Amino acid sequence: MPITILPPKAFRDQPPRHSLNHDSDDVMSDATSDSEDSDSQPGGVSLDGGATIHPRKRHRSGAGAAASSTFTKRPKTNAAINSIPRSAIVTPGERITTDPQWMRGHGTYLSSASLGEQAITSSLAGIVTRTNKLLSVRPLRARYTPEVGDLVVGRIVEVQAKRWRVDVGSTQLAALPLSAINLPGGILRKRTETDELQIRTFFAEGDLVVAEVQQLFQDGGAVLHTRSLKYGKLRNGVFMAVSGTGGGGGVVRSRRQVWTLESANNGGPIDVILGVNGYVWISKHVEPVVPEEAKGQTGITNLEEVVSATMYSSQNDRIEPETMREIARIRGVVTALVENGLRVDEDMVTKGYNEAVELALVSADGPEDVYLGGERGEQLAAALTAV
Amino acid sequence: MASSQHVLLSPAELAYLHASLSLTPPIRPDGRSPTQFRPLVAETGILPGTNGSARICFADGTEAIVGVKAEVERTRTRHDFPSLDESAEDDDDLDDNQNDVVKGDNDWVEMTVEIPGYRDDDAGTVFLSAMLSEALLADGEFTKRLWINQRFHWKLYLDILLISPPLSYPLPLLSLTTHLALLAARLPRLKSEGDEDPLFDDDWAAAPYLYPRPSEKGSKATAPAPAARPPVTLLVMAVGNNIIFDPSKEELAVADVALAVSVGESSSSTTSTTSSKPTAMDIDTEETKGHNLRLLSVRTIDPPSRLTPPGIPNASNSAYGANAGAKDTEKKKQQQEQARTAESEAVEGVWKAPRGGAKTLVMATMVQKVLEKGGVADEVLDALDGVDLN
Repeated sequence: MPITILPPKAFRDQPPRHSLNHDSDDVMSDATSDSEDSDSQPGGVSLDGGATIHPRKRHRSGAGAAASSTFTKRPKTNAAINSIPRSAIVTPGERITTDPQWMRGHGTYLSSASLGEQAITSSLAGIVTRTNKLLSVRPLRARYTPEVGDLVVGRIVEVQAKRWRVDVGSTQLAALPLSAINLPGGILRKRTETDELQIRTFFAEGDLVVAEVQQLFQDGGAVLHTRSLKYGKLRNGVFMAVSGTGGGGGVVRSRRQVWTLESANNGGPIDVILGVNGYVWISKHVEPVVPEEAKGQTGITNLEEVVSATMYSSQNDRIEPETMREIARIRGVVTALVENGLRVDEDMVTKGYNEAVELALVSADGPEDVYLGGERGEQLAAALTAV
Repeated sequence: MASSQHVLLSPAELAYLHASLSLTPPIRPDGRSPTQFRPLVAETGILPGTNGSARICFADGTEAIVGVKAEVERTRTRHDFPSLDESAEDDDDLDDNQNDVVKGDNDWVEMTVEIPGYRDDDAGTVFLSAMLSEALLADGEFTKRLWINQRFHWKLYLDILLISPPLSYPLPLLSLTTHLALLAARLPRLKSEGDEDPLFDDDWAAAPYLYPRPSEKGSKATAPAPAARPPVTLLVMAVGNNIIFDPSKEELAVADVALAVSVGESSSSTTSTTSSKPTAMDIDTEETKGHNLRLLSVRTIDPPSRLTPPGIPNASNSAYGANAGAKDTEKKKQQQEQARTAESEAVEGVWKAPRGGAKTLVMATMVQKVLEKGGVADEVLDALDGVDLN
């Protein structure tokens, strides 16, 4: 069957709050119970949204809870709750509430309503989230906001005199200065004019790099570095961009962003790099080759030299068809996870991969079938969430 | 020829993609089989203000909306041709025939394509709209449907909008959406007769489809037109000898050849089968018969692969391991010689943009694969039949 055409998911027959986000009911009911709770016993922290909330968004939660405890007990009317829009999704400029008991959080601003009243207004398209008395809006989709120490995968889009500009899926291009890369030759040395002249031999436009955020500018722009043997140019694999943060799906910050997966069906080891910015690289795992002449002389500097030898290569190694097939399967797993709004991390990808191998065994085309789109992706996601 | 949009991919990625797509069978990055399309969601009748509309959404998020609007326009009398009235007066024998001569004009259809981020006079956009309208007008049958009488005709405005940014070359998406919108399009029923000023039925439920559906007995009785369908344009590409349908952006970036093949249902052969249709009304017999496919147009699309930068083999890479430290002139000379051979020969694992023209044999196979019975176009049309038209 070369083409599958599905009917649209019916959402017009139902009231919008059921269909747009099935959590919305819970959010609303939680919110009402929350606000009542916090009146009687202040300080109880409860996070709506649960596991899908982005870690960075939690910074203020403590403050919000503390602040809410300073509120004095006020007579509560039902109108206060009813003034909050009943639909879970708000759009920029939509008034969330004029009730002064709420505090504004991320994704909102105060605008003057009639008669000097202040209204909390959404500045994003997203879902209203409440933490006790703090109202914030979680965006449906957001661009990546870099933080120092993040492991990112980026694509070189511009080469300048002493630095590269790298697309990392942020609002701005990140910078990778020439001084922040390991120069070839193994030894740590000062960069010279020759290096500046042949800057394109290290990274050229279009090249993919894995790097770490070294520092941030005031405006949120990032400076990257690749001064580690783990970082550098990427080859032997496929790239995919998972949509930005927010909305539940996508790459989340976790303990390990890079790991080697032992694949099934004679695929051999496969490296998976999940950039925090949502860019993913899946490639064949290659052990560094020690050249004949360098064998025998071991040492830290020597090892470094060997590893850095292939750092700026853009020639792929020989990759077996079996490995390519498994790489395509892992890519399918990640796509299925994102399309079904699940988080992408080591645990989920490994579980999903094992599940996909099982699924392929029962499929009509046998274990060589790596297709995981459409219904099969949903099947996979259902199997993962059931566990 | 206008090219599809440029993609920025690293030489290592391109080499990997090319290698995996050249295997037999090819391994596509999303695991599809070579003839498989991306799953899509389709619906019709989404815009109440139009005569017909459709929306198609691919799983990757690309989405298109097409609206068809019709208005009555006075037919310009042509002075360069002897007018129909004169010819009718000339020979009385042909009088009866001449009165129901249905003529069409390509000016009666106006198509606009809008792609976010691109100007409407951008070469790519103009090329897309030219390709889509070319397929529609190719056989001259379509404009005949717009004929009301000798003085009036329908003017059809086809507005094709891509809502999402173009994540892949949008031609198949736009073509499929246009197809559905035209299938769903209805024109008010004509009440007046002959060459009077046209008067239409207010009842929208009675409005016949622009393309009458064979399954509907009512419309069939009133309009005995053959069950033709709007054309479908499919994007086909080849890597080596592998032929791949509905390529994604990355796949198109390593294509040797890319073709846009427009396929319609041949009306001449359908008229011959109409006699058998009333006797065999059930769908089963029709499916075994398949569609009478007819090639309407073939266009080559300049694949972005030709503009991609080549990879540098390790042998000539000055930043590569052992070479980086090499100081002595002896070694450098050797390297330069190696580099020269590397430039002329293909090195495994290094990307090299395809050069030269497409092989005629490959192109012929691509077209054949589309057209063959039970082939891709056949199945695509079958799948489109399943879409609920409201």
